[in-house]
Formats: sequence, structure tokens, C-alpha cells
Amino acid sequence: MKKWLYDSARDVDQAATDRLRQFPREPDMVIYGLRSLGALIIRGLLHIYNHFEIVGHQNLRTNRSLVIVANHCSHIDTLCLLAALPLRKLHRAFPAAASDYFFQSVPRLWAAAILVNALPFARQARVRESLSLCRQLLANPGTILIIFPEGTRSTTGEVGEFKSGIGALVAGCDVAVAPCFVDGSFQAWPKGKRFPRPRKVRLVVGRPRNYRDRGTDKIDFCAIAAELRDAVNELRPANGSR
Amino acid sequence: MSPQTSLHDPVFRAYFWIVLTSLTIAGVVLGFLRFVLKKETASVFKTYWSWILIAGIGFVVVFLGRIPTIVGVTLIAICAFKEFAHASGLYRDPWMTGAVYAGIITVGITSLISDPLGAEHGTGWYGLFVAVPAFAIPLILLIPILRNRARGELQRISLAVIGFVYIGWMFGHLGFMANARNAYGFICYIIFATGLTDVAAFTFGKIFGRHSLRSEISPNKTWEGALGALAVAMILPWLLRFSLPSFGPWQLILTGLIVGIGGQLGDLSVSVIKRDIGTKDMAATIPGHGGILDRIDSLVYVAPLFMHMTGYYYPLR
Repeated sequence: MKKWLYDSARDVDQAATDRLRQFPREPDMVIYGLRSLGALIIRGLLHIYNHFEIVGHQNLRTNRSLVIVANHCSHIDTLCLLAALPLRKLHRAFPAAASDYFFQSVPRLWAAAILVNALPFARQARVRESLSLCRQLLANPGTILIIFPEGTRSTTGEVGEFKSGIGALVAGCDVAVAPCFVDGSFQAWPKGKRFPRPRKVRLVVGRPRNYRDRGTDKIDFCAIAAELRDAVNELRPANGSR
Repeated sequence: MSPQTSLHDPVFRAYFWIVLTSLTIAGVVLGFLRFVLKKETASVFKTYWSWILIAGIGFVVVFLGRIPTIVGVTLIAICAFKEFAHASGLYRDPWMTGAVYAGIITVGITSLISDPLGAEHGTGWYGLFVAVPAFAIPLILLIPILRNRARGELQRISLAVIGFVYIGWMFGHLGFMANARNAYGFICYIIFATGLTDVAAFTFGKIFGRHSLRSEISPNKTWEGALGALAVAMILPWLLRFSLPSFGPWQLILTGLIVGIGGQLGDLSVSVIKRDIGTKDMAATIPGHGGILDRIDSLVYVAPLFMHMTGYYYPLR
């Protein structure tokens, strides 16, 4: 009889929290189930509590890899962008989350790893490593990366400068980049407030772009970042909440 | 079973004090070893803290009543199977793992609902509960047929069948016992006796252990530990006779044998699986114990044997 090969998971001897910290995560039906259930509840709450609305839904319809770039005012942004995706793509969608904020304390780690499927992004040191991890993920068709290039939540509701890292990620890379604007999330859950408030939130999805022909210089990176910032800002509804 | 009855049930209350006293005594002994005799006890203390946590959660769940107990057992079975699937590599096949999860949930549901035709009295649908493997195994066998695949499927089928029958269905008997007339007595006795037997095997092995029990399977287990555990398991039913009220001497002896021998065989069975896979523990979920499956391994073996032994002599519900 031929010998059976057991292909154990890499994380068998790790404690539960360490297993959540590691990335890429091993496939896990229980976590998939919890995440799908959580997504349904979050979608329901967004619709009831924040009258959530999506404009330009068709721009997200693709089977190839996609980078979603958006402004960032509150934690609601991530939930809105995830709510715009079909449920079956949820486990292949990775919002980049600050590893220093989301992957240290255990309750945040649970929310980030199980509910949101966040990708731990090192925003101070080792940015390059995080970017190359993102690029590896994108090489696998059907991956969706959600990135907030401002690097932090805005405290004014305005769209801040985009970091050049977003340019470094998409320059010379054949991947669609969809600019998105989340409107009203600043009023709904500003940074520093404990609970969200029942304000209307609207997500506007722009037409996807491609930066495969661009050079890979620091100047190009900054130019792409600035272009994307303008693209996101243009999506701000004229009668939007201020 | 409900919070009201738990509060006034003499068996439940007695077990609460028994477990509290045992844990206190164990803590005092460990403290003595650590601070007076200056022994190296860090790893044992980790195990001890986890025992306190397990006992606390267990009491809360049983206190809350029949439905939380069955749901809790089902959740533990799901987590234990998850560990098994990750260690054995079965988790890469979402169809197989999905079928096993469906089977485990079905076991939970049949324990919760009553017979719709009313042929059985009391809660829990015993007829379907014992028949779940007859449906779950065909479902598992159906998956390669539906997917039109044969290569490597025997291994996946085998892992899924053992995962479902052993972890899902056999362990599910613990949940079904929540439907018994003497649910508190059975559940508390079985969990306490199996836990204490495990501790006894460890302690006797540590103190007197010389001769390896099964050197190829689990090098740390010894004959001395096994016999000491068996002795404890044989005495325990007589000491805790109040929780098994209708039992005669013969049934008490059988209970002792099931817990004393079955518990250790369950431990060794999981060790065989782990040895072949090549891991030390199934996971690292409970500090000082390993995975959830490493903790419940004896209970998986003991619960169905005990329930069917009882069911043979007395009406269960």
C-alpha cells in the first residue's frame, strides 16, 4: 500500500491568536462561515442604520484582480467597501489594515482577522515587505485589495494626501484600480467616537483605471498617487454631506 | 434541565462543591510542590489554570440548561473536527469538511428536537440520532462521485468518516445525555470521572511510572499510570453513587470499567492518529493541554459506551 501523505496546516502548533495574526491565513470553513454571517448582519445594519447606498456598482464587476482605493474617515469605510462586494468574493478580499493598530490587541485582532479578513500592513517600518506581499496576492486572479492610501483616518472629513506607496503598488502592474468615495462616513463615525451615529452613508465607485504602462520611479509613484487622489475626490457627490 | 432546576438540583450542587474542592486541593498540592519543595511546576500550573477555566465554562453551560449543553457540545465537536481537519490536511477539501460539519450539526439538531411522530416520549429524537451515520457516510461517499474524482479520494473519505463518526457522532452522545431523566448525574459524573481519571493516569505515571504502556504510540504513558487510573475509575462510581441512583453493583462496575479502560483507550486512539500524522498535539488551543481534541479524547470514547450501557439497563429518558 502506498504511504498516505498528510498535508498538515502550517499553523497547527500555534495558539489561536497567533494563528489569526499570521498571513496569508489558512482556509478555514468555520471562519468563512462566521465571516459570511457577520457580513450579512453588517450589511443589514448598514442599510437600516445608515441608509447605505451604492452608486456605480457595475464598476466592481470583474473576475480579475482589483485594487480598490478610497478615502478614509472611519472604520465604516471598510465595512461599506466590503458590503459592495458579492458574498462569495468576501474571502478573497483583503482590506489593508495597520498592523500596529489592528493586529496587537486581541479584540481588534478578532474583528480584523475573522470579520474583515484584513491584511496586516506595516505602515512605519517594513513598508516594502508589505507592498511585495500585496503584489504577490494580486498575482493570483480574483484577489481584491482594499487600500486607504491616506494611511490613516482623516480627522476633518477632507481627503488627505495619498502616500506614494499606492503608486509603487500599481505602477507597471496589469491590475485594475477602482477609485471609490465613501460619503458621510465622517459624520457617521468620526475618529475618536466610541459608537457610530445613524447618518446616511453613500459609496460611489468610479471607473477602474490601469497603470501598467507607467514607469517605476519615485516621481511616477507620486504622480499616480496624486492622480488617484484627484480621481477619488472627483467622485464626491456635489450635494454630498460636508 | 434549566437554570431554575440547576439551582435546586442536589446532584448539580453536589458536583459544584466536589469540583471546587478538588481544584482547591489540587491547587494547594501544586502550591506546596512549587513553593515549599521548589519543584519545577510551571507546565503543570499552566495545565491547572486551564482546568479551572474548563470547569468554570462547563458548569455555566450545564447550569444554563439542556439547549445550551447540546449547543455547547456541538460547538466543541465543530472546533475539535476543525483541529483534526487542519492537522490531517483534510481542511483543503471544503466539500468534505462541509459534509462533516453538516453531519455534526445534524447530530446536534437530532439531540435538540423531539420525535415528530410522537413514538418516543421525552426530548431528543433517539431513533434518528443513532441513525445519523447511516446518512452522513453516504453523503461523504457521494462527494467524489458528484465531483467525478477518484485520485486520493479514499484518504479523504476515510479522514472525513473517522472525523464525523468519532468526533461528531460519538462525542455528540454527551450532548444527547442532556435529554436523560438523570441528565445532571450522567453528564457531571462522566465529565468529572473522565477528567479525574486522566489526571490520575498522569499523576501515577509521574510518581511510579517505570514500564512504557505503548512505546510506539505514546512514549510518556506507563502501565503504572494506567493501572492507577483504572483503580481510581473503579472506586469512583461507589463514592459518587448518589449521582447514579438506579445503578446496581454490576452497573457500577461496568461504569468503572468503561471510564477506566475506555478513557485511556480513547487517549491512545487519538495518539495513534497524531503519531501517524506526525504532530505532538492536534493544535495549541488550550494552554497546557494542546488542542480541544486532545482534551476531549477520553470523553469521546467514554460517552457513547456509557450512554448505551445505561440505555440497555434502564430507560434513558
